[in-house]
Amino acid sequence: MKFQLNEKQLGYAMVAPALILVILVTLWPVAQSFYNSLFDYRLNDPSRSERFLSSNMDLERYANDYFYLSRDLEALEGQAPDPDDAAAVAEISQEFEAYHAELLEMDGLAEQYEEVEGMIASFTAIADRELKYASVENDWAEGFKAFLDDASEQLTTISQNTESEEFSVTAGNVAGSLDSVNTAVIESNFIGFDNYQRYLTDSRMWQSMWNTLLFTITSVFAELVLGLMIALLINRAFVGRGIVRASVLIPWAIPTAVAAMMWGFLYDGQTGIVAHYFEQFGLIDDASVLLSTGAGGMFSVIFADVWKTTPYMALLLLAGLQTIPGSLYEAAEVDGAGKWQQFWKVTLPLLKSAILVALLFRTLDAFRVFDLIFVLTGGGPANATESISIYAYITLFSQSNFGAGSVLSVIVFISVAIISTLFIKFIGSDLFAGKTGR
Amino acid sequence: MNKRAGIGFYIFLVVFVFFVMFPFIWVFLTSIKPPGEIFNNFRWFTSSPSLESYDNAINNRPLFRYMWNSFVVSTLTTLIAIGFASIAAYALTRLPIRFKGVILGIILAASMFPQIAIISPIYNFVTAAGLRNSYMGLVIPYITVSLPLAIWILATFFQKIPWELEESAKLDGASPFQTFRKIIFPLAAPGVFTTGILVFIAAWNEYLFALTINTSDEWRTVPVGISFYQSQFTIPWGDISAATVLVTIPIVILVLIFQRRIVAGLTSGSVKE
Repeated sequence: MKFQLNEKQLGYAMVAPALILVILVTLWPVAQSFYNSLFDYRLNDPSRSERFLSSNMDLERYANDYFYLSRDLEALEGQAPDPDDAAAVAEISQEFEAYHAELLEMDGLAEQYEEVEGMIASFTAIADRELKYASVENDWAEGFKAFLDDASEQLTTISQNTESEEFSVTAGNVAGSLDSVNTAVIESNFIGFDNYQRYLTDSRMWQSMWNTLLFTITSVFAELVLGLMIALLINRAFVGRGIVRASVLIPWAIPTAVAAMMWGFLYDGQTGIVAHYFEQFGLIDDASVLLSTGAGGMFSVIFADVWKTTPYMALLLLAGLQTIPGSLYEAAEVDGAGKWQQFWKVTLPLLKSAILVALLFRTLDAFRVFDLIFVLTGGGPANATESISIYAYITLFSQSNFGAGSVLSVIVFISVAIISTLFIKFIGSDLFAGKTGR
Repeated sequence: MNKRAGIGFYIFLVVFVFFVMFPFIWVFLTSIKPPGEIFNNFRWFTSSPSLESYDNAINNRPLFRYMWNSFVVSTLTTLIAIGFASIAAYALTRLPIRFKGVILGIILAASMFPQIAIISPIYNFVTAAGLRNSYMGLVIPYITVSLPLAIWILATFFQKIPWELEESAKLDGASPFQTFRKIIFPLAAPGVFTTGILVFIAAWNEYLFALTINTSDEWRTVPVGISFYQSQFTIPWGDISAATVLVTIPIVILVLIFQRRIVAGLTSGSVKE
């Protein structure tokens, strides 16, 4: 019997791979970002470089330290010149062994510990984090940490007060080993919504959000108005359409980072021609204003964005204009409508869906602006042009703070979701028209 | 289209094109100045053109290596995205499956995802997989950008292909897969090609993933490589101008050859016909 899919099953089979890929590379990471944002998660801090819902032991570190510490504590006891000190060390040693025994009694820990010990003995680094970390009871971890703090403090005092120099040095070393074991006990770094609370009251976050909104609204509005004007003007037959189209496409096609470098040169206070002309025409007091003041920086970024994207906007709107039948304008003229009325009563209503779709894509693009600002001003001067994406990037990768940075990522995501929902409400099902077929 | 173009219109056009092209013109004129001349005057044309800046741009940093990296990453991304997307877009526009609106909604939403919201988990994943500083380390995250874009544009193109041909192929006993291969694909090839160009350009221009994932200089792509020409202390504008000209040339060629297709692709998603 031949296995045959019917059309419907085939359809699902054909959509599935792409859909699964899309979900894997977008929805899953967003969920991860959200999960990360609930932790005090920092890549550059060994005790916080993983996300732990409960307390954990870094067994690799612990097993290594335990071997030496257990031996050193015993030796220290024998060395003590003062019987009081010897008794104190003996007590620490006993308690330490008791905690060790308790640890090994936990579920499956004895075997895991043995395996880790074996690997340490053969000098193998442990890459498998399932093996390296063991989840332990929170109470036990808390007690153990408190004990280690106490013991280390006690030994430090003893080492400072004793008369024997040799004993003093060894006691100091053992106190250091106790601190080292302490770092192997990792308490949960789950902090719930604390990060959110911190950022919702963070003035830098609100400043960058405001910068992003100012940039988005101003540049998209300017692009729409200019784009519409250009589209209306060039919506006619003329010689040289090809040249115009190509010159309009090139700014759109070059990488934003390259455009930002170019504009960085044009705005430069010493060698920049645009800054120079602006100064000559009296638009600015001094050529350096464009990149060294907050308002100048914001203007520069918006101007560069308008230069790069207006042509693209004009193209989208021009395509929309060309679908409006000329007969409508003839009819309007017969009815005595002027040019202005024709624009408001015929052009705009028929262009509405093209405008809204173009606005949707441009707004979202502008809201997540990163490379233009990052390359052109780096968010400066004094964070005056820092967008929310740049703030998130700096927190994530310059400060290696993945927990806090993820909060900012989630904030960007939620803002984008809100903007798209609003737009799609306006556009409605037009967006999908002509795509889903019969 | 009934308006006639007068002389005033052409003057406007020239001014408009000049403004749009001005940064390129100026950067090109700068790139052929001797480096010493860039810093002391605003003369448009140099009296002694020199290729010194080009020499520096190529030798101070591995510019051609950046271009090769960008080319490989963008080509791989385009092939993968088009492969998956054309199959999915065909099924979405042609086959009687349910939840088309929901699926297209998910794809559109995915194309609107801010990259910053997904960069840290992707970074962790790429690091864990040992793919930092490699081509695949960028190709995988680029699926997030390219695949939804490709499906969205392709769905529009496929929708425009007349149904009748497919119906008659079906009557002649062709299976859906044969129909796709023999009828739809040849008709859809122009659309697929256009989508390919747009995906290629999007991948070529991507900055954030390239910046964070490929941090070693020999694996940098063009946008990131260019942005690293400025050091903390000096800004070699001559080198930067020359490098900008060199990386813009391939794009200018691409645009000149394929401008009609690019415009068709860009406008296909936004205009109802």
